[in-house]
Amino acid sequence: MVAGELEHRDDGALIRRVQQPYRETTTLLGENVTVERDGSRPRRFSLDRAPELRGMLNSFGAMLKGDRATLEQHFEIASSESGNAWHIDLVPRGDRLRARLARVRVDGHANRANCMTMEEPDGDATVMLIGVADRTKLPSPMEREQLQSWCVRAGAR
Amino acid sequence: MSHWQRMWLFAAWVGAIVALGWVVERNLVVGTDLRLFMPSPRTPEERLVLEEIGEGPASRMLLLAIGGGSPEAAADTSQALAAALAEDPHFRWVANGDSGTNVFPDELLAYRYLLAPTLDHTALDASYLSDQLRERLRDLSSPAAGMLEPWLPRDPTLELLELAETWQPARQPQLLNDVWFDGAGEQALLAVETVAAGFDPQAQREAADGLRAAFESARTDPSLQLTVSGPGAFSVLMKERTQGEAQWLGALATAGMVILLLVAYRSLPLLVLGLLPLATAGLAGLAAVSVVSGTVHGITLAFGFTLIGVAQDYPMHLFSHQHGGLDPRANARALWPTLATGVASTCIAYLAFLFSGVRGLAQLSVFTVVGLAVAGLTTRFMLPPLIPAGGRDAGDSLMLGQLWHRMASLPRPLWLGVAIAAVSLAVLVFSPRPLWQDELGGLTPVPRALIEQDAALRRELGAPDVRHLLVIEGADAQDVLERAGTVAAQLDELVASGALAGYDHAARYLPPVSVQERRRAALPDNRELQQSLDAAVAGTPFRPGLFAPFLADVERARSLPALGPQDLAGTPLEARVGGLLLQRDGHWTGLVTLTGLADVAALRRIVGAQPDVTLLDLKQASEDLVAHQRLRILWCLAVSAVLLVAVVLFALRSLVRAQRVLAPMALTTLVVLAVLHGAGVSLNLFHLIALVLAAGLGLDYALFFERAADEPAEQRRTLHAVLVCSLSTLLVFALLATSSLPVLRAIGVTVAAGVVCNFVLALLLTRPRLDS
Repeated sequence: MVAGELEHRDDGALIRRVQQPYRETTTLLGENVTVERDGSRPRRFSLDRAPELRGMLNSFGAMLKGDRATLEQHFEIASSESGNAWHIDLVPRGDRLRARLARVRVDGHANRANCMTMEEPDGDATVMLIGVADRTKLPSPMEREQLQSWCVRAGAR
Repeated sequence: MSHWQRMWLFAAWVGAIVALGWVVERNLVVGTDLRLFMPSPRTPEERLVLEEIGEGPASRMLLLAIGGGSPEAAADTSQALAAALAEDPHFRWVANGDSGTNVFPDELLAYRYLLAPTLDHTALDASYLSDQLRERLRDLSSPAAGMLEPWLPRDPTLELLELAETWQPARQPQLLNDVWFDGAGEQALLAVETVAAGFDPQAQREAADGLRAAFESARTDPSLQLTVSGPGAFSVLMKERTQGEAQWLGALATAGMVILLLVAYRSLPLLVLGLLPLATAGLAGLAAVSVVSGTVHGITLAFGFTLIGVAQDYPMHLFSHQHGGLDPRANARALWPTLATGVASTCIAYLAFLFSGVRGLAQLSVFTVVGLAVAGLTTRFMLPPLIPAGGRDAGDSLMLGQLWHRMASLPRPLWLGVAIAAVSLAVLVFSPRPLWQDELGGLTPVPRALIEQDAALRRELGAPDVRHLLVIEGADAQDVLERAGTVAAQLDELVASGALAGYDHAARYLPPVSVQERRRAALPDNRELQQSLDAAVAGTPFRPGLFAPFLADVERARSLPALGPQDLAGTPLEARVGGLLLQRDGHWTGLVTLTGLADVAALRRIVGAQPDVTLLDLKQASEDLVAHQRLRILWCLAVSAVLLVAVVLFALRSLVRAQRVLAPMALTTLVVLAVLHGAGVSLNLFHLIALVLAAGLGLDYALFFERAADEPAEQRRTLHAVLVCSLSTLLVFALLATSSLPVLRAIGVTVAAGVVCNFVLALLLTRPRLDS
């Protein structure tokens, strides 16, 4: 469980900055990822080895801009809503990406997105909770089920 | 001799040539290693220099760049190419920056604790493991998770990654898309080491073909281009350019010769007959070299035929002196003393190279001496019976008669010889330029643009310096590895101070046994490690028991014998270590390659304090070698010059006549030397050989001019012979002089200038008094 911020830099770089409980900066520029953490050597690798970042890169920007065409280009889109709650399932179109990233699921409520879940084929998942300023409102314990229901309910807070 | 007998004799000779050609062709092994033409070493250090120049890791390394398309396509191609080349038997290793853990074979995985330096400064205890596990948790919530996760149960301290990073070159180019890229991010870079020596163009050609084929099937985008640079690539390029141009000039020269001979003798049979002694000579020379040294070098082959081209003159003398009333055999008998003197003295001159100490030159010497002797003997004994009696008499030529008279009215300025000698000597002595070219590479210089491209690639890749190298001598491999470790510690200081960018040596991949044993002793036993691990895992989300493979690996490492050079066979480390740790004659040599050496003096200071460690300056050492070799060749030539004078004196039995014959040749050598030097040409080995060739030609002209009888018709015949000989030689070598390649140009210019000078001087100084 880490907290921090995402930044879209002008030169096209996506920066994932972890601020708590330790500091770590991931810079994504083009196809290259650099992870720097206090006290250890920077680690560099290609985007191919970080499927969640690729999924995030392909979906995040497009969703923020409401650019459905770009999103369609990379993913098959399925969505459903019940009441104010909604979710969108994005399944990667490319074989190469799908081998590493099974699905991106975005849960939201009314006009805001709460969570972005990147599911890997082996069952691992990375869940990004969006716009949580008050940490006391986080689900507890921090397990998949609790997170899932938090993501669906969060908008009703 | 009847027509039929002549036909039979001709057929028999041609048959003999064909048979000899068949035998030679079957047994001929043509070598291409250019080192055969480099000086042969006298001391172990010189031998090392030559071995390093041709076979050292730096000379075998090829630098590759893939560009012209998108960086992604270049990166994919780099990966595919690296995978293909790793399987290709022409290459010892390939590196493209991908630190994939697959470089390490599975059975050696447990060795990571003995090979990586981690245990030198820490212990595998609870606090270290705890720190490491905390870092791994952070890794798992970072985007690097996907990459690292599969390794965690076996290697929670990421020792393998540490090892892979240790083995990366000291100064790495930037990594883009997992592979090396140039600074601009446009070209993917790779470094490969060929199995073939850098100076073996034939074997390098095969490697280059393999490389091209692998690239063609690996490239993911047709717009991608492959650039290959390095000593091996250059030797292929230069060999092919030399060969191509020599063939083209050779074809042109042959056509010119045929036309000239047809004009001179207006007889097709004579043209064909004239070729027989030369063909026999060439094959006999080849056979002799095959017998003496087993292989014939490509240069001996190409160059040797140029040198024995002189033999084409021998039948021409015979043909030119042939006329209606003369039996060709009597003609040959009459000419023989003069011809034999020429042949013998030329052979003596070439004999000097037999003792030069350069294997290639010795081959060349055997080839030429045998070839010329055979050409002389066949011209004397086998050719005359075949020559049809009668035919055109050069002595009837009015034009030649007029020419002879005009020549007769020329002055005989004996003072000119003295003046020419004085001026030439002055130029040679007082010019500030160095007379000789000492660079080995000067013989086949690589185009400037390619050298600059190579330097740029070398900088980008951080490839080792091709000039400087440390050499560590030791009684056994461990001794060398230990010393390498000591030197490395001092080199680290140079790296820190900026005097050196990086270095590479065998102990980086294979630490000495003592170091491996120390690290092994530092490994905790199973129980202890289990306790530390339990303590470290407690309070983390890691499942207890997850790290069982890690425990098993450490336990295995505790009982492993230290890894030695012999254990690396078949692993990717074999090539890396093999190039840097060599065994010769029960003696081990370690090499330390240097990158970005900025302060040679600082390095020299460090090396000076180390016994059995030498800083090899390949450029300086090879130049010393070349200079020393040249001195030896010059001495050999001096001795052969004395012998040559003795032969001429013996043949002519007159000091005055010998002086007249030798003067043009000696003066010509001086003049050509002075002209070349004055024009700013640095002289190399090939100039020397060409000077000897020119001297041999000059001696022939002078001998025949000197011999010219009183009878006007005979004088015209001699003039005809010398004119045809010198014109044909001039034609061939003037063509060579137009070559864009320094080697061919050196020979062409030198011989062409020598022929002109010899002819003019023989005319002015040797021609007999014609006052009568």
